[in-house]
Amino acid sequence: MVSVAVVRASVRGVMAIAASAFVVASAAAADLQPTPHMHGAAAAMPARPELGTSAAFAPDGALYAVTKEGRHVLLHRSADDGRSWEAPVVVNAEPEQISADGENRPKLAFDADGAALVSWTRPLAKRFTGEIRFARASDRRQFTAPVTVHRDRQEITHRFESLAVTGAGKVVLAWIDKRDLELAQAANRDYRGAAIYAAVSDDGGRSFRAEQKIADHSCECCRIAIAGDTDGLPLLMWRHVFEPNERDHALVKLGADGVPGQDVRATFDRWRIDACPHHGPSLTVTPDGTRHAVWFNEKDGEGRVFYGRLNDGRVEGQRALGGEQAAHADIANAGQRVGIVWKEFDGERTRLQAEISADGGTSFSTRTLAATGGASDQPRVIRRGERLFAFWRTEKEGMQGHWLE
Amino acid sequence: MKPLKLIVTTLACCVAATVGATEFRTLDRAAAAQLVNPSSYTVPTIVALWSSECVHCKKNLKLFAEMAKADRRFKLVTVAVEPHFAGLAEPLDHLAVPGQRFAYGPESPEALGYALDPKWRGELPRTIFFDGKGGKTALSGVVAEATVRSSLGLQSNP
Repeated sequence: MVSVAVVRASVRGVMAIAASAFVVASAAAADLQPTPHMHGAAAAMPARPELGTSAAFAPDGALYAVTKEGRHVLLHRSADDGRSWEAPVVVNAEPEQISADGENRPKLAFDADGAALVSWTRPLAKRFTGEIRFARASDRRQFTAPVTVHRDRQEITHRFESLAVTGAGKVVLAWIDKRDLELAQAANRDYRGAAIYAAVSDDGGRSFRAEQKIADHSCECCRIAIAGDTDGLPLLMWRHVFEPNERDHALVKLGADGVPGQDVRATFDRWRIDACPHHGPSLTVTPDGTRHAVWFNEKDGEGRVFYGRLNDGRVEGQRALGGEQAAHADIANAGQRVGIVWKEFDGERTRLQAEISADGGTSFSTRTLAATGGASDQPRVIRRGERLFAFWRTEKEGMQGHWLE
Repeated sequence: MKPLKLIVTTLACCVAATVGATEFRTLDRAAAAQLVNPSSYTVPTIVALWSSECVHCKKNLKLFAEMAKADRRFKLVTVAVEPHFAGLAEPLDHLAVPGQRFAYGPESPEALGYALDPKWRGELPRTIFFDGKGGKTALSGVVAEATVRSSLGLQSNP
C-alpha cells in the first residue's frame, strides 16, 4: 500500500476516515474477495527460470549442452558424461534476446565433421514474434556470427524451431511460422493455427536454402519432432489442428531436396479444443523402419502421455506412459535399444522416469532415474554409439545425465 | 470541494486504486489451495489461468473482462502460471482485466499447478469456475459466454 505508507502521522485521522469511506464504498466488492493466504508481493517476485537446454554427444564422445545465460547462448562441455562441466563458450558474441523456457530452448547438433551447430529463437518486440537464429563452430569454440535462417523478415511468429542433421549430412531447421495466418487475417479469412516451415542446408550449416512451407494448420506453440528415417531422410512430426479444432499430430517426410511429401495424420485421439497444450511430441525410427512416437493428448476426457508406433495412418500399441502427472516425454533409439524419458510430479517432487527396451519396443522396463524438489527442464534422450543417455537440467541440481541401461 | 473532503476523496481513491489489484501477488502452494477451495467463495468467481505464451488466452480474458464490467454479481481472479517479469501485466492491462492478479512464486511450476488443479495438464487457457455455493467446475480452452454463465450459476443476464 505505497500510497498509504507515505501519508504522514499528522493526517492519520484523515486516513482513518478515508479508509472507512473506502470500506463502505466497496463493501460489496469486499464480499467478493477470496481470502487466499497472500504470500509475498510484487517486489518479492522470483526470477523467471529459463532452464531450456539441449544436449548432444560430439563425434569425439564428449557431452555438450547449450543453455541461455542472460542474452547469450552458452555451449558447455563435459568430458565425464555430465558429472563436471568445463567453462562454457559463448555462442553469440553480440547479446540478443533468446527463448529458453517451456517448449523453447536453444538446440544443438553436430555434423559429421564434428562442427557444433546451434540454433535458437530470438523473440522480437511484438508478443509471439521471433526469428530463427543459427551459428556454427567448426572447432566447437569459435562460432560464426549468428544468421537469421528465413528469408521472410516480417515481425511475426517464426518460433519453436527444431534442429537436426540428417543421415545424408544435411542440416534441417523446422519451425512454427505465422506468415500464412497473417495473410489470411489481412484478407479477413479464417485460418486454423499456424504453419510449419523448414530450411535445409547442403553444406553443414554454412548456408541455407530458402525456407519451404511443410504444412498449413499446425498448433501454435508445441515443439516439433525431427527424426531420421532408415534412408537418412528427415521425418517431421508436430501437433496439428485438424478440422474443426482437433489437436492431434501429423507426420511428413522431406525429400533429399527438402521438399515435403504428403503429410499424414499420425495420431487419432481427437482432442477438440481451442487451447495451447505447450506439449510437443517426440519421434524415433528403429532400423527395421518402425516409427516410435511419444506424445501428449487428452483422450476420453483424460490428459495423458502416450507411446505408440506410427504405421501408415494407424497407431499400433498405443498406451499411456506413467501416471496421470507424466509429462514432456522424449524418445530416442540406438539400434534396437529404445529409450523413453519423461517427468512426473508425485505430489511433492518431480521424478525423472524412464522406460527402456532392448528389443525394438516389444517390451519395456521402467525405472526412476532422479527427482527434484524445484523447477526443471523437459528431459531428453540422446545417443552415443550404441548407448542411450537421459539428460535433465533442474534448477537445484543443474545439468545431469544417466545412462539408460 | 472543502479541503478535508478533498483529502478524504483523494485518499479513498488512492486506497481503492491500490486495492484495485493491478500488482501481481506471488502464488505459493498454500495460496493456490485456498484459491481453488470452493468454501473460499460466497459469490460466483472465475479463477482464470493464463500465460504470456498462450495465444488463446486473450479470448477468454477479453470475454471475462467484458462480462465483469457488465455484471457485478461475479468476481474475476487471474493467475499467470509463470513467474513475474517486466511486461507480464501488458495483456491484462491491454484488455482492462479487473480483479486480483497472481503470478507463480519460486516453488516448482509442477507443484503450483498440482495445487491449483491436479487434473490440469498445463494446457491454457484453464478456467476454474465457482458458483459461490460450494460448486466448482474446471474447463480447458476457449469458453463461450453461455458456458461461463452456467458454470457460475448465473442463468440470467444482469
